[in-house]
Amino acid sequence: MRNVAIISVGYNGRFVAKRPDVNIPELIQPAVANAIKKTKLKYSDIGVVVEGNMPTFEGINYPHLWFSDHIGAAGKPVLRISTGGTTGMSVFQGGYYCVASGMFDVAMVIGWEKHDEGDAQVGLIGIVLPEAFSMFQFGPDMGGGGTGMMGGLSSTGGASFQALSYLHRAKGTPDHIDKMAAQARSNAAKNPYAHLQHPNCTAADIAKTPMVSYPLRYGHTCPASCGACVMLLVAEEKVKKFADTDRVAWVKAVATASSDATTGNLVDGQINDPAEQAICEKIAAPKAYKMAGIQNPKKEIQMCEVYDGFAHQELMWPEKLHLVDNSCKAIDEGRLAIDGDMPVNPSGGVVSTNAIGASAMVRVAEASLQIMGMAEGGHQVPRRVKNALAHGWGGLFQFVTITILGDEPVKR
Amino acid sequence: MEKVKKPLKETRQVSDILDMSSLKWRIEADGLELLVQGFKEKKILGRKCHKCGSVYVPGLSFCRKCFITIEDVVEVSKKGKIACYTASLADVRGNPVENITVSVQVNLDGSDSWLMGHLEIDDWKKVYVGMPAEVVLREETNGTLADMVCFRPI
Repeated sequence: MRNVAIISVGYNGRFVAKRPDVNIPELIQPAVANAIKKTKLKYSDIGVVVEGNMPTFEGINYPHLWFSDHIGAAGKPVLRISTGGTTGMSVFQGGYYCVASGMFDVAMVIGWEKHDEGDAQVGLIGIVLPEAFSMFQFGPDMGGGGTGMMGGLSSTGGASFQALSYLHRAKGTPDHIDKMAAQARSNAAKNPYAHLQHPNCTAADIAKTPMVSYPLRYGHTCPASCGACVMLLVAEEKVKKFADTDRVAWVKAVATASSDATTGNLVDGQINDPAEQAICEKIAAPKAYKMAGIQNPKKEIQMCEVYDGFAHQELMWPEKLHLVDNSCKAIDEGRLAIDGDMPVNPSGGVVSTNAIGASAMVRVAEASLQIMGMAEGGHQVPRRVKNALAHGWGGLFQFVTITILGDEPVKR
Repeated sequence: MEKVKKPLKETRQVSDILDMSSLKWRIEADGLELLVQGFKEKKILGRKCHKCGSVYVPGLSFCRKCFITIEDVVEVSKKGKIACYTASLADVRGNPVENITVSVQVNLDGSDSWLMGHLEIDDWKKVYVGMPAEVVLREETNGTLADMVCFRPI
């Protein structure tokens, strides 16, 4: 496998709730143009385009048939990958494999969502029905996130079980989630592209928001955003030719682990607990660290971007990724802040910006910007980021994707 | 260009609604069937893996740990401990609700999995992880999911 570098990141602009002024191609095209103008690439140099968003959220099954001409993809292979919440990172990893395999020298990856043009709940029903049928066929997972979501509780309902179970395990309180959400919204205020920006947000500000499903408050939940994220991936031999910067982000490891709706989160531990996340802790994370050659993630990784649709997940995932022993303790000590020893989501995370198909890709994009030292607006981590981790989750909590980036290529 | 300028003779609008309730899928709800059949005799039935001994309620047709088909039917206790819970305090528009529902996941004694239901309790703030609770079945059971009324703290 060849080494692959991320040489450029492009957003269409700030992520917002509604973009009635543009259609889907017009939303995506500026992100493509912004990514390309930071490189020495021409459209003709791009070998393959990989794109994805949530299927049918905008009521369209094959949106790339509409926007391919608008992004210079005519005549090129266009691959569409759609894996729920993990879509963005699955798309990125699809692009990575296209280049790492030697098939293409340059891949353009696009994650996007235009929430204002469809009905996310209707889209979700179409996606979740097969999982429900699978549960009925083989035996329902009458616990965990699966049935929580199935039981009419929606994502927030399912996540609230996870949040409570996590707090019980970590010996935390809902106040810790308030603190985490406040940190995320404050960080978002330093990121010019983030959706919900709340400068100097405090835990008390979050605690004023209504409780939706205990222990999750309105202030702990993510918005529905419109936006697109584009990255350009280049093979090691071509980096000097195409990159317009000396500092590029190298892909050190990619890993995924998936279960199905009926097996829930179980690997070999407790059955049902949606906060257990053994597929991340015991399968995906060790696989990623092995591929990246990382022995001690707590010391060797300088920051992480985790997929936190709900604020408690920003506490839970760093633990499952072996980056922090107890996040509740760490947030109390300020260790998860931008200037802490393990900054979590300096961008503000998914809880501040959630264009679903882009969200997991934005995690990789933000991690790469931190390595390149190009995070704008004051959310750059002050110490030099040598290795950064990006994470995504999806489905009924049973998909997980991890990408580890570094400032130097791995010797393979 | 000529073609574009030429007005069409007829313009039609087609509108339709896809009624999901008109669609039918065939699914076998084996584990649920076992559970509701048990309700007829006021029993909670599940399945036990003959290899690792895990007990699932509702009974799965396969073991999640061993990935083998399982058929041994076992009865578990109606009593157990609350493993996880949430209280719904707002409606879909975010307004506070009058009747707060407490959804619980209970680990019944003798079972390794969690069973979900509503908890009947006067104050949701009294609920805690590890709280003993039991299944409440209605007086006359007829083998449907509605036989299970709720959970009640012991």
